[in-house]
Amino acid sequence: MKPLYLTAICLLTTAGLSAQNTCDDAFEATPGTITVESVVGGQVPTPICAQNGIGAQRGVWYEYTAVDSVTTTVSTVLDQNQGLDTRVHIYEGPCSDRVCVAGNDDVEGSFLSTISWQSEPDVTYYIAFDDRWSSSGFDSGFDFTLVETEPIPEPVGALGFTTQPMAGWSRSLGIVDMNGDYLDDLLDVSSSSVSTMTQTQNGDYEFAIVATPPAAFPYSWSIAAGDMTGNGYNDLLYGGSVGVNFMFRDDDGEGFTEFHTTDYVFSQRSNFVDLNNDGLLDAFVCHDVQPNVYYMNDGESLEFFQGGLSEVPDGGNYGSIWVDYDNDGLVDLFIAKCRGGASLANYNQLFKNNGDGTFTEVSEDAGLYDNVQTWSSAWADFDNDGYMDVLVGASSFAQGGHKLMHNNGDGTFTDITAGSGFENLGATGIEWVAYDFNNDGYVDVMGGNGRFMMNNGDGTFNLEQFNGVTNGPVGDMNNDGFPDIATQGNIHFNNGNENNWVKINTAGTVSNANGIGARVELYTAAGKQIRDVHSGVGFRFMHTLNVHFGIGTETQVDSLVIHWPSGITDVHVYPDTNTFLLLTEGEETIGEPEEEEEEEETVSTLDADVRGFELYPNPATTELFLKSEELPVRAVIHIFDLHGRLVMQEPYSETLNISNLGHGMYIVKVISDGFVTERKFVKTL
Amino acid sequence: MRILKTTLLFVTASALVMCSPDDDVDVVPPSESLEEQSHVIFDSEAVPYGTLSEYGFFEGEMAALEPAAGVLPYDLITPLFTDYAKKKRFVWMADGSSASYSADHKTLNFADGSVLIKNFYYDDVLPDMNTRIIETRLLYKIDGNWQFAEYVWNDEQTEAHLDLSGSYFDIEWLDDAGNQRATNYRIPAEGECFTCHKTGTVAMPLGPKPQNIDKAFAYKDGVKNQLTKWSEVGYLSGSFPSEIDRLVPWDDPSELLSERVRSYLDVNCSSCHLEGSHCDYRPIRLAWNETAELENLGVCVEPDEMINTALIRIIAPGNPARSVMHYRMASVVESERMPLLGRSVVHDEGLELLTEYINSLTVICD
Repeated sequence: MKPLYLTAICLLTTAGLSAQNTCDDAFEATPGTITVESVVGGQVPTPICAQNGIGAQRGVWYEYTAVDSVTTTVSTVLDQNQGLDTRVHIYEGPCSDRVCVAGNDDVEGSFLSTISWQSEPDVTYYIAFDDRWSSSGFDSGFDFTLVETEPIPEPVGALGFTTQPMAGWSRSLGIVDMNGDYLDDLLDVSSSSVSTMTQTQNGDYEFAIVATPPAAFPYSWSIAAGDMTGNGYNDLLYGGSVGVNFMFRDDDGEGFTEFHTTDYVFSQRSNFVDLNNDGLLDAFVCHDVQPNVYYMNDGESLEFFQGGLSEVPDGGNYGSIWVDYDNDGLVDLFIAKCRGGASLANYNQLFKNNGDGTFTEVSEDAGLYDNVQTWSSAWADFDNDGYMDVLVGASSFAQGGHKLMHNNGDGTFTDITAGSGFENLGATGIEWVAYDFNNDGYVDVMGGNGRFMMNNGDGTFNLEQFNGVTNGPVGDMNNDGFPDIATQGNIHFNNGNENNWVKINTAGTVSNANGIGARVELYTAAGKQIRDVHSGVGFRFMHTLNVHFGIGTETQVDSLVIHWPSGITDVHVYPDTNTFLLLTEGEETIGEPEEEEEEEETVSTLDADVRGFELYPNPATTELFLKSEELPVRAVIHIFDLHGRLVMQEPYSETLNISNLGHGMYIVKVISDGFVTERKFVKTL
Repeated sequence: MRILKTTLLFVTASALVMCSPDDDVDVVPPSESLEEQSHVIFDSEAVPYGTLSEYGFFEGEMAALEPAAGVLPYDLITPLFTDYAKKKRFVWMADGSSASYSADHKTLNFADGSVLIKNFYYDDVLPDMNTRIIETRLLYKIDGNWQFAEYVWNDEQTEAHLDLSGSYFDIEWLDDAGNQRATNYRIPAEGECFTCHKTGTVAMPLGPKPQNIDKAFAYKDGVKNQLTKWSEVGYLSGSFPSEIDRLVPWDDPSELLSERVRSYLDVNCSSCHLEGSHCDYRPIRLAWNETAELENLGVCVEPDEMINTALIRIIAPGNPARSVMHYRMASVVESERMPLLGRSVVHDEGLELLTEYINSLTVICD
């Protein structure tokens, strides 16, 4: 009797509630509004195509087939669904072997869902909802709409991502080379291990977990990588609210050696940088509640220092970034700062490197002394005028919004936020980084929790956003020259486009091993682009140490000029494009110009001799004349001393003021349209 | 006339408190009469002393924390959670010094020569089931400024030594319900003390606010309202209102759920989430006098800082799993947990309270 009674109840329940189905007996969905009756069970949708993982108990399935090629949109964002919390997954069949097409949990600012995809005619798609967050929708029922629209062709050069879960991987703190092959790898750390998902030369990924000595201060907020010991392997720095530790990679690339001091450091953004320019990386760490700290590396040990690089007693230091803002060849320090209450700790600071181991705080003169609450800033030459600009990204709008500051080239910055698009970006965020995500030759900004502000090249930026692509480290995880992003266990691979690119790894010899602090200039027919090599951008993650340039439709790079921290400048003429270049300090290269270019040159009868110039007087005291028969195209003059140190760099002009140079012999190189012409001269006093 | 009125108010306040059945009356070793000569040694030129014993705050065996003359024990309606540590709090003031009332929700105005003494200890410490005092924190006021001193107790429990550089102490114990618990207890560095104990850049005590000390206490000479007692012994001068808008004990099930949550959040969170404080750039305001507004509590408010894509409201009504506040209180990951400092294990009972509260909310967010 008892089993029968139970069966009767079940039957009754099922009869009263209509929806309890599976992929195999999915209901039919056609354009219009569809009412989902309350659901008691049903097949839980897998695989999960939307954000926010497992946890659903119930599911309801619909099948849908389009007649024509259309954009199909399914949405629960309807007045009658107010207060509900839905999630939707879209599959392509067959049921037994279905794959994700798209999915959505939350449409911006709501618990409801909207998803669009491209439907092909006569292909069956499955639309499955689950109760990941709330049983209420499944208890009471809900409505959704299915709308077909004309497909919108993807614009040329558009940004897009394909998300790939990495089996066995759950968190990416960094995308940086961890095995010495210069290819980016995924990085994670725990209090007793370092995990990597290594990108191999043949495009595979290899997982490794290496036990470390216990970290005295496990990772909490930021991680930095750099080769402090110069053994070809990147070392790590991370810490927590009371201290900092280092993990030095052993010379054989196997284990790690831990180092820490017991000093109290509430650690935020950290960086590797050569503070005294001795060719060895030092380390800098933002202190949240006290003056910043740094660790000087003498090749044998690290020495702890506090103070000097921000003396503000209650700190407020969140996002440090080392960048050469005044083009003097020395890395300067900008600190994005944040603090509530009446305190000076929330005013951003800029420290100019004096080149003698001292720094001068110049933020007020520069126009960057601002108390906007910020945890990081994105530095890049957004308008390709040869000077590093900055987007100071607001973490809170309590004291002002995002600020796009244009570097005027004279040590000052002008607020150009109005009209740039950043004034309309309503989202805050703690991670702000600058990369050319679509390789169009203009550096974009990722910030505001995964929002991409795409640089149009005319001082304006427009917002693009991708489901699930949020804060995470940036690097190239498939070596295709387009920056990818890792979040949790996923890599969001950049879909790429037709644009061209150059990717560089800077290998220092006299300078530090990573070439951190180097300035790289790239010249194409479209003009000049610059990058600085940094370890530690944004707030939390370690982003690639590789230097990445998009060059849009340009197919030839005239030259790459690297100004190393040592003072050495190397020129690489006609470097290859759409490839990865390992450029070693002190080694210059000359590549082949494109055939097309050669034809142009034939037409204009330009060759190296014609590009030559007459230099007089020699010796010279105050003025040097550089007379060329052909006006050099986009020419830049570099003057080096006999140690290879760059002492002057100026756009080409016939008259050059050399009165500031000391007595001695110099080499002048004129770099123009891929050619380098050299002359020696003597400067007399 | 003024004095007479003040006295009358005291009687009323005291009577109200005495009649309340809800007051948590802790039995703490009573202090000696304050009329007795205080033997506390507090030389503003010489503090902080190297050892705790030098102050003479305690009589007899120091670990008994038996207050000396002039050292007055006090307690809070709702205390800060610090990894389940128990606390004994005392106040001492130099001769002729007294505090005054400013507002229900503001720390009393203390005078120079005031010392707040807070001892952190665990009972039923494993394996010997003994009591272990870990640290004694002092906040003292000199020349108008509050200063911190941190004393770490030795294993013998005979002395505590000055150490402002911060350290850890591993401890396992049985809690009041008999559950075994463990923590790597953090003894704060000076910078950690200051991070919470401040307004702007000015150091401040947090506990002794009328709203949190307006409760009865079992003194040696009888149960009495703390504000009344402070007044009687001269530690509180001037008048204060007869009725204080006070907190409720966070763990008293007879109180309103919302008021218990608001009390808990005030004590554990509002030192930063308050106008003028460390984190006032975030949208929530968690002080008792501000949380009657649901928006200040974070109900339906979108977070500035993204932890993961599921957490899109600070409090999602009826949905703890989508609420940042719940996630942060349930986390022990340093970069995600809240409060940021002072807690390294989850406060199960506090989290349960918040969960119940979020589940009780039926507001529909826009």
